[in-house]
Amino acid sequence: MDYDVVVIGAGNGGLTASATLARKGQKVLLLERHNIPGGCATSFCRGRFEFEVALHQLSGLGTPEKPGPLRMTLGSLGVMENLEFVEIQDLYSVYMPDGFTTCLKPDKNQTIAELKEKFPHEKEAIDNFFDLVYTYANDMIGAFIFRDPEPSRDKYPNLYRYALRNAKEVLDDYFKDPLLKTVISVYWGYLGVSTDQLSFAYLAMLLFQYIEFKPFHVKGGSQALSNAILNVFLTAGGRARFNCGAKRILVEDNQVIGVETDQGDTIETRYVVANISPMETYTNLVGKDLIPNNTLQEMNSRILSNSAFTMFIGFDCEPDELNIRESTNFLMASTDISRSLHDRMGRVDIQDELMVMSCYDISDPTFSPPGTCQINLVTLKYGDPWLTIPPGQYHEAKFRCAESMLKRTEKIFPNIRKHIEEIDIGTPLTHMRYLGHPAGAVYGFESRTKDSFFFQPGNRSPVDGLTFAGGWVGDQGFEPTLRSGVSAAKSILRQMNS
Amino acid sequence: MRKGIWQEFDGYKEIADEIELSFEAGKERSFDRQLADQYLGRLHPKELKLRVVDVIEETPSTKTLRLAPVDALLPPFLAGQYIPLFAEIDGIRTSRPYSISSQPKQTGFYDITVRRVPDGLVSNFLMDQVKVGDLLDSAGPQGNFNFNPLYHDRHMVCFAGGSGITPFMSMIREIVECGLDREVTLIYGNRHLDDVIFHPELESIAQRFDNITFIPVIEKPAKTYSGACGFINAALIQEVLGDMQDKTFFLCGPQGMYDFCLPELESLGVAKRKIRKEMYGPPVDICDYPGWPSGINPDKNFQVTILDGKTIPVNAGTPLLVSLEKEGIVPPSICRSGECSMCRVKVLSGKVFQPAGTPVRKSDTRFGYVHSCVSYPLEDLEIML
Repeated sequence: MDYDVVVIGAGNGGLTASATLARKGQKVLLLERHNIPGGCATSFCRGRFEFEVALHQLSGLGTPEKPGPLRMTLGSLGVMENLEFVEIQDLYSVYMPDGFTTCLKPDKNQTIAELKEKFPHEKEAIDNFFDLVYTYANDMIGAFIFRDPEPSRDKYPNLYRYALRNAKEVLDDYFKDPLLKTVISVYWGYLGVSTDQLSFAYLAMLLFQYIEFKPFHVKGGSQALSNAILNVFLTAGGRARFNCGAKRILVEDNQVIGVETDQGDTIETRYVVANISPMETYTNLVGKDLIPNNTLQEMNSRILSNSAFTMFIGFDCEPDELNIRESTNFLMASTDISRSLHDRMGRVDIQDELMVMSCYDISDPTFSPPGTCQINLVTLKYGDPWLTIPPGQYHEAKFRCAESMLKRTEKIFPNIRKHIEEIDIGTPLTHMRYLGHPAGAVYGFESRTKDSFFFQPGNRSPVDGLTFAGGWVGDQGFEPTLRSGVSAAKSILRQMNS
Repeated sequence: MRKGIWQEFDGYKEIADEIELSFEAGKERSFDRQLADQYLGRLHPKELKLRVVDVIEETPSTKTLRLAPVDALLPPFLAGQYIPLFAEIDGIRTSRPYSISSQPKQTGFYDITVRRVPDGLVSNFLMDQVKVGDLLDSAGPQGNFNFNPLYHDRHMVCFAGGSGITPFMSMIREIVECGLDREVTLIYGNRHLDDVIFHPELESIAQRFDNITFIPVIEKPAKTYSGACGFINAALIQEVLGDMQDKTFFLCGPQGMYDFCLPELESLGVAKRKIRKEMYGPPVDICDYPGWPSGINPDKNFQVTILDGKTIPVNAGTPLLVSLEKEGIVPPSICRSGECSMCRVKVLSGKVFQPAGTPVRKSDTRFGYVHSCVSYPLEDLEIML
């Protein structure tokens, strides 16, 4: 056997799977098509800026005194000493076109107080809603994190009542003011489905997590995280091949026997971690004829998530000169959080979509060079419509969309344009190209309630020795994908011992 | 925990029905993947075969190669972008980036314009050996040296040095041939008058179009020459432009031009954000580069051991990437000027010299990664590709 395990893809899940296995003494080969590790968790340099690609607020880390699940995961991987995390002082700000703005802090009481001040007519509802969020989160933790052997409706009433409801229904039950509903639900932007389809469970857990474990960023950006995990893997004796993807996963009698790389060589192994989409894995690498029909049906039943249109902008001044005061800013065009908001993500042009503007220099003044700062300005867009643009008009479409985003941002931060020093733009096609994900999906499959936590297929596959890691087979985002790799590794170690 | 306790949750029945329905309605996505691959191949082909359909002698030391696609349409590009050209010369597989000098709305061919460089492996190959009918390997256009309508001023001031004229040629041709509402002042420095590439075309364009101004600057002119002479300095810039307001400056030429012109622009109060600079290959003589350790002769030999691979001889004055290619090890490379990071390798032990200001990710530096196209061995090295 050449390697005990071959890991395909050095995204968050592939990296933590590789590092976990190598540290357990397994001989591991990590294949990555790109020339850097990270997948989405990367950065790139333009001029004097190093732009963060994907990380806005790291969840689940917690403080050393009150560690969250991610801190424990990273701690057990031995990467903490190579990383410097920066606590983000704000939860998020919301800006509306009429001048309304609110800034929430990652503290339950402060957030409730701020909301009550802005929405005095909904005071009671605000208390009740946060009670619900917290009791729901505690039910969830009791039942699922601590794996209660005998859960019941009596023990976890809100879990039973709310786990399968969608967020909009619950918001409508609690609040009347559409602006308040908008403000409280903006995190849907991190999950990719608007509130009418989003599981309430996700919105509640996200709010709870960010408030209790605080949002973080990391010095050097998400690339630092990827590089640090890769470093642990290499130090433990792991081998990585960059610029080299997998072409086939070789299977005999339903057992993985090797991987053929796209450089043409074959590596013998009995275990593969696929940190790539199940479509790519089953259709192109294994071959559909070897996959049972119900697995394919399950895969096809799910909807590809949206991609993103992202602007990376470097400015030749500090954030305060631009009037940017907070790290995380949701720029909303209206209080419409209905289905139509979701539908608008399906067209190429950008008008009134949700936009997130993250300025990393607020919490980490060393993020960009002295006297400069950068923002990551992103909106969610489905990838398919971009495939209908004639290639000769691609650049024009890209600039047109970027101009719309910039115009909307300028209305709130009027000084930005005259301080721009660098801009780069990532379109859904950019994501298709670099991630290789169908439709440029940045969140894997959509997190509709029917596809939420309880109904995900998990990391196992019908092929013996083939295990998945990453956002395609679990929840999306940095914390879940980083943890998914550890779970995949543990699953393989269990299979090896049985 | 009981398996599937969520079946007891409120609303499970509706969700179960929805799941059942979605199983029936599900759509296969493998075809979409092919579509996406095809589309991306039109924009960013990994391989692009080009045939030399014409060779135009521009000056005694410069030729334009006109390249037409062999089996695909040419990918669109932005004026100012470049293509990498791959070649195998004397058994060495290598590549060089060449700015496209034809304009982007013209989609039948790419022109690249090559100047002979003393000891230039690829430029001399293209100058002396390539002829009409030959095939060349390339890939999709790349680069960030282009007009950006989001924040660049409509008046571009372009400083070109020698063969650094090529991206500007593409921009100027696009502006005049497509009637774009933009203005260009081109200040083009050359050592001698007969080095000026595209001289007749530029003069003619400047005569015909009010929005294009062409100022050739000759470093070593004949005594009878009446145009601008010497270097592109602050006095000249001031004289040509009047004021520096509402203009974006684009520079493309050898390092010496940047070293001279950038302080001149600064002295005129031009903000850094108004200046765009194209990369232009690795330093010509690395030993003259600020920070090069004294006492290291460029001919000094070292050994580089590749993790799980062979050990190769290198010398201090040659970029690591070039030494690797000479031994048949070809890491991917595109810009070959330190910027694109494609040729990134990890130095496991030993020291290299990498010019200050090379844009390397902070965490790459922290973990020992260097851009091999501008990294020079100062000791025996062990590296990981």
